[in-house]
Amino acid sequence: MQCLVIEDDADTAHYISNGLKEAGFGVVWCRNGVDGLHLATSERWDLVILDRMLPGDVEGLSIVQAIRTLGKTTPILILSALASLDERVRGLRGGGDDYLTKPFAFSELLARVHALLRRSGMKEDVSELQIADLKLDLRRRRAERANKPIALQPREFRLLEYLVRHQGQVVTRTMLLEAVWDYHFDPQTNVIDVQISRLRQKIDKDFSPPLLHTVRGVGYMVCVDG
Amino acid sequence: MARLLRSVAFRLALGYGVLVVGTMVVISTAVYFGTVVVIDRGVDAKLSKISEQLVDRFETGDVQALQRRIQQLLTDGIDRETEVYSLLDADGRNIVGNVSALGRGTPLDRLTDQMIVRDGRPSSSRLLPRRLSNGDVLVVGRDLHDVREMEQLLVRALLVGGVAALLLAVGGAALVRRQLEHRMAAIRHTALEIEAGDLSRRIPVLDADDEFTRLNRDINRMLDRIQRLMEGVRDVSNAIAHDLRTPLGRIRSRLDEVLRPGATTEQLREAAGTSIHGIDELIVIFDKLLQIAEAESATRRQCFQPVTLKDIITDVVELYDATAEANGVALVVDVVGEPTILGDKDLLASATANLVDNALKYGGSAGTVRVGAREDRETVSIVVQDEGPGIAPEERVKVVTRFYRLDRSRSLPGNGLGLAIVTAISHLHGGRLSLEDAAPGLVARIVLPRAAA
Repeated sequence: MQCLVIEDDADTAHYISNGLKEAGFGVVWCRNGVDGLHLATSERWDLVILDRMLPGDVEGLSIVQAIRTLGKTTPILILSALASLDERVRGLRGGGDDYLTKPFAFSELLARVHALLRRSGMKEDVSELQIADLKLDLRRRRAERANKPIALQPREFRLLEYLVRHQGQVVTRTMLLEAVWDYHFDPQTNVIDVQISRLRQKIDKDFSPPLLHTVRGVGYMVCVDG
Repeated sequence: MARLLRSVAFRLALGYGVLVVGTMVVISTAVYFGTVVVIDRGVDAKLSKISEQLVDRFETGDVQALQRRIQQLLTDGIDRETEVYSLLDADGRNIVGNVSALGRGTPLDRLTDQMIVRDGRPSSSRLLPRRLSNGDVLVVGRDLHDVREMEQLLVRALLVGGVAALLLAVGGAALVRRQLEHRMAAIRHTALEIEAGDLSRRIPVLDADDEFTRLNRDINRMLDRIQRLMEGVRDVSNAIAHDLRTPLGRIRSRLDEVLRPGATTEQLREAAGTSIHGIDELIVIFDKLLQIAEAESATRRQCFQPVTLKDIITDVVELYDATAEANGVALVVDVVGEPTILGDKDLLASATANLVDNALKYGGSAGTVRVGAREDRETVSIVVQDEGPGIAPEERVKVVTRFYRLDRSRSLPGNGLGLAIVTAISHLHGGRLSLEDAAPGLVARIVLPRAAA
């Protein structure tokens, strides 16, 4: 997996590069917009992570636009200190696949990177999802485990669907809020945690092995063995 | 004078005066020509007509008949002051009539103004001399002294009137300028005081409804808004001093402590962990302050769209239902009708979520929290009602300010920004947040104006 990081701040860049290398990525770091644009458009990348405000008043979004104009569908994650909703919308409309505001936790970045790579990898339209003995019928919006139906509210079903679609990957709370509730605000309390624990009650309590795991300090993951 | 000319009021009034004088000149000219020219034409027409008649009499009768007629006209007492009739022979000698002689070179068969001797006295007259077939010259005319006198009178009157109008215009301009300056002085005075730092000053508003009163009211309203914003900034500075510096200080001292020699790796790890946690909380506060600033700056109004409140309320309730369940609280959706407004979906959801969050956190550990929407003729409101202890009336104003927390809730997680955000979002949508007693409990209402259909 080759990843291009366009970021002018050396500390942030090292933080990202080191983390990604540990996670098994090949990383090329580039600290200005001109080289970044050149590298991004001339070579093949599995992922581009770029800052919006680059030296010499280069706007990262113009690099995103250049990449998209060339018809490349490389997943792009925009990193920015511009945190307002407007800026976020501009970033995503401008061709970014995800938008993460600084400061950020690397675990959040990594979770989003995995989600992006997965999104670009699989596009098939499935009607059923499965992990261990948990089955989700996406057409009829029904869930069952060990052949016993599980009563889920519509929103719980969407939550479970998102987790199972990303099985084996860590999913953060903000990712869930954005994907399942489609909101970009930070609820004050641990609403997502409570939602998850209610879901866990329904799918894991009377069954084995447990599927829905908490990844401490990061988020949640659905997998057969945590 | 130069200073006077720089005054807008003076220039306006003077311009107006000049316009009035100009109008007068045009009217006077019209009056002058209307009177004098009409009289002159009347004279000319009358002279031509009489001359025709006399020539006619000469041609149908003889010279005697003409002479008798002229005698008759001169002695009938009509127009005695002005009439001019004469019959002169070919050499210019008077046969009959009141003209002794014609000036040399007096054109014949044409109406002209001539100096003549009439009844032995010089006279400026309008004359129509005609040569008859026997060589004699028939002179018909009219002395013009009365017409000239009237002309002079008219011109004098117009001149005097014009000068008076000009003086009035200049004087009026100065007066208007004084008036405006006077009204303006109140505004300038207040502006100076505000510039000197006293933002509480306002322009005195008269009990009238003229342009200045309206302008003053508008300026005062603007000043109210600026003052509120300034107070907001001051509050924020104070709040930042207290609520951001304190946790920063805590993080710093903790890190400082573990840097002393002898700290174990375990202690270092733990300090790093708590520091990150503390910083994350600060980031949350930071984001919320920015969110308030964003809402208050009103830039997001540009992307307002029709929003169905029922959808927002359902979404928020579905987000909090598990939390309510865990607290043993029934979370009930209570929407009447299909209230729709023009607004920002994310911000309205955030505001609603804040109210629901508060209701669940502070509204007691059991009972019901109702999340609803209502609409009436002018407003649409989002209503969140709990059955908890409520908020004392004197505290209700304070809880919406940034970082303010009730004593009994200080032990609970939170940062005292929730209601400030709700207030800012309500204002952004042209509405307000109201907190009322539900006996028991609290009703929080976001009252918004209805979307223009």
